[in-house]
Amino acid sequence: MGTDDTLGKLELELRRGVLVLATLSQLRQPRYGYALRQALGEHGLPIEEGTLYPLLRRLEAQGVLQSEWRTEDGPPRRYYVLNSAGRALLKQLAATWQGMNLAMDRLLEDEDTK
Amino acid sequence: MNANEVIEAYIRDVAVHLPLAQRDDVARELRALLAEELQARAESEGVAADADLAVALARGFGRPAEVAARYHGPSHLIDPADTPLFLQSTCIGLAVIWVAGLLGHLSDGVDEAHGGWLGLAGQWWTHTAIPSLWWPGALLACFALAAWIRRRWPARAEWTPRAPDHIPGGRGLLALGLAGVLLGLFVLAEPTRLLDMMLGGGAAPEAYRALTYAPEFRRFLGPLVWLLVALNVPLILAAIVTGRWSARLRGANVVLSLVFCAAAAWVVLDGPVFLAAQSDQLLKPLLVLIVAVTLLGLAVKWYRRVQPVPR
Repeated sequence: MGTDDTLGKLELELRRGVLVLATLSQLRQPRYGYALRQALGEHGLPIEEGTLYPLLRRLEAQGVLQSEWRTEDGPPRRYYVLNSAGRALLKQLAATWQGMNLAMDRLLEDEDTK
Repeated sequence: MNANEVIEAYIRDVAVHLPLAQRDDVARELRALLAEELQARAESEGVAADADLAVALARGFGRPAEVAARYHGPSHLIDPADTPLFLQSTCIGLAVIWVAGLLGHLSDGVDEAHGGWLGLAGQWWTHTAIPSLWWPGALLACFALAAWIRRRWPARAEWTPRAPDHIPGGRGLLALGLAGVLLGLFVLAEPTRLLDMMLGGGAAPEAYRALTYAPEFRRFLGPLVWLLVALNVPLILAAIVTGRWSARLRGANVVLSLVFCAAAAWVVLDGPVFLAAQSDQLLKPLLVLIVAVTLLGLAVKWYRRVQPVPR
């Protein structure tokens, strides 16, 4: 492996790859941006705010999330939740991820046993 | 500025880059999110939620234009894959234009009455360097159009196999090139024929003089240049007949191009070509440009060569 800088960049690439799936997984129930970031962080996947908040809008524009402003729990907040297309997408992406995960486990095990 | 004003300033700078339809809504959401982030960070660090912390938060969020770009996904004029080619084309094209312009100004001589070398540099800057910016502009338009076409009709951008000896543009284009070479040979043999063709022999005597070869040129260099141009005819004919640029034909073409460049350089450095000096002042810079473009073309081909099999 090269320098720490290279490792950092490669790790960032890996995290980018799972960003959408991680976000969708936490939006089976309505959440607003900051709470979602907290939830992801608590699960060991901290995501920069400058990346996460625009992503929510893009996913909504792609038709997999729906959102609404709510004011009953404090200051006005925009809540996001999966719609039916989002739920279907999450199911498909989760299956793909699990398949990749198994494949990677096998690949890394092969490497370890050599 | 207090923390609130810092956040408001940041939101304004982000929102101004967003499409009008989503500007206010995103700004409203950002305001709520940044306020919450600021408060949480102040609590976790045990400091006051002041302007300094707000600036640090905003900077961590990203440059406003970049943040706005993240809201509507990636957008670019030139495909990232085309960027190296765009940069190469821009640099090479500008270098050719600048060098050709410099040679053109040098051929006019350094006039001490107009500032000497400094005046010449000024002339080059205003008449060559600044106007040369059309080149990157034109390239940008072409690359952007190509990228748009690829996105609009992806099937057209699919890779298709192409033999290394294929004829770019096909036989039709090559036949057109052959016709051009033959016409060029006809005119090169006696340039005054051009006047006869265009004006039916009614041109002024000065015009005939302007296109009449100097005796020294007619003796040796003229026939040599004509012969070198004429040697293109069998090469092109062979490519048309066989339907491909074979390795042998390509090699012969490279040798012929290099010899032609040498002969053209000789013409530029040698004595007069035409009886009228003004004609030479037009022709010689043109020859320099032709040599530069030819050598550049050969250099690009050499640079782009690929040999998957080790020698």
